[in-house]
Amino acid sequence: MDRDLEQLHTALNSIKVLRSNVGQVFETVSSGLRADHGEEGKENKFMLELQELLTTVNNNLRDVETSVSSLTPPPGPFNLANTTYLSQETTQERQALYGQLVNSYKWTDKIREYSTLAGNILATNSVNKTYKTFSTTKRRKTQTSNHNVAPDVIENLITGIDRLFPDVTITAPRPFAPNPIIQASLGRVLKAIIAFKGLMIEWVVVKAHSESNDLWTESRYKVFRKVTENCHAAMCHFHSPTMPELAVRSFMHWFHSYNTLFSSPCKRCANHLHNNLPPTWRDLRTLEPYHEECK
Amino acid sequence: MGVTVLQQFPIVENRTGPLTIDVLTKRISALGAIQQGQFLVDCETYTSVPQLGNQRTVHVLHNSEQPATVFSILETGTKTIPLATDGLFDLLMMKMNSFYTSKKLTKAESKGPRFEIGDFLVKLGSVTVSQNFKGVLVEVEYKPCVVPAMCWELMREFLQGFLGSSVQSSPPSYLQNRMQEIYTPIDTIHQYLEQFTMYRKTPGMRA
Ligand SMILES: [Zn+2]
Repeated sequence: MDRDLEQLHTALNSIKVLRSNVGQVFETVSSGLRADHGEEGKENKFMLELQELLTTVNNNLRDVETSVSSLTPPPGPFNLANTTYLSQETTQERQALYGQLVNSYKWTDKIREYSTLAGNILATNSVNKTYKTFSTTKRRKTQTSNHNVAPDVIENLITGIDRLFPDVTITAPRPFAPNPIIQASLGRVLKAIIAFKGLMIEWVVVKAHSESNDLWTESRYKVFRKVTENCHAAMCHFHSPTMPELAVRSFMHWFHSYNTLFSSPCKRCANHLHNNLPPTWRDLRTLEPYHEECK
Repeated sequence: MGVTVLQQFPIVENRTGPLTIDVLTKRISALGAIQQGQFLVDCETYTSVPQLGNQRTVHVLHNSEQPATVFSILETGTKTIPLATDGLFDLLMMKMNSFYTSKKLTKAESKGPRFEIGDFLVKLGSVTVSQNFKGVLVEVEYKPCVVPAMCWELMREFLQGFLGSSVQSSPPSYLQNRMQEIYTPIDTIHQYLEQFTMYRKTPGMRA
């Protein structure tokens, strides 16, 4: 393999030399007689020069031929499977696919590289600080995994929350899944799509009731985009690896305070609107409403 | 579709309709609103011929916000029946012109610029009844909220922000009985009809 590559390099190199020298021949021919050929027998001098250059080119060509003949052609065509046809696609909307394919290949390659690096860095900096403080004594029993729990445990937690707040209606399109996604409707104010990873809240999107239930598109209303942002902050704030159920309950308790999103004025400035938005922040402890700029 | 409040903006002495719209446009633009096209709401009223017995009235309205819908409100004298249909309803009314005749001189419309500011939609309409200028109607919609009771105070604050003292402290009379209900496009139509009916009774103004 290495030898093949070396030969390929020599061949490419000799082609480069050939091209460069052919270039020189044409340059000499195009500029014709020059001052440095002198007066006496200038035609002869020129002819001699040209002949010399042509001999070099001839030698170069021979080099190319020998180096090429020593190359071993690859056995059979390259196998790119069906992707080969992509580059030959003639319909307009599919022409870009090949380029995209190459890009996504590069992208996955980069991800692999970065994740290996990240993995190495993380391995040297252990992040089990929180566990250590609790795992020494009698707390050991609660030391179960938070992200890999039986579906019925999560189901119990969700139905518990559903009963806790009468104006929060929870629907789960796929109950008893290991990582369920639920829709929590808060009265007629808004709805949140909440994704669980085991007993942890992994993602929250807040939208209007009229909007779609998918987790990836954000609301088209500024106010709900702001509330989504704040939900992410609260989700991190309430997160607790040792008491995951309490964390979810505290989050839902806080989330419930948005039932007055449109109706209650800001605790600090006493106005409803600031930058054309109602108070979109709720204090994490007192649950009082504040504008983002007033908190 | 969110809760919408429609209200008249009083025309100051010596100020024309276009000038009033201009003043309001400047105010709302100063608050950061961006104009997004124009809007139009129109209303034509038909009455039943005497042969049909008790006189009935049909108001047919169009709103550029719901361009594929024709709204109609039938008043029988004892009941008011709203209806939302597609564009064919207009043709149906033409077919029925031997039973329901149009009161051409009462054709009312409100049209003007349409603005977006945050989650609010603001429309500044100059109202004409059979081509005569009658006044200025300001429509404000708060798109994320669908229950009037929840956001009335917030909307009042917004209205006061650019209309000043002309904003009433209580919601439009049509909304007052429906504060806890989910707001729908036909509610906006009802509010326009209420306003158009009032304008039809008032004498014309200098445009
Ligand atoms: Zn405030």
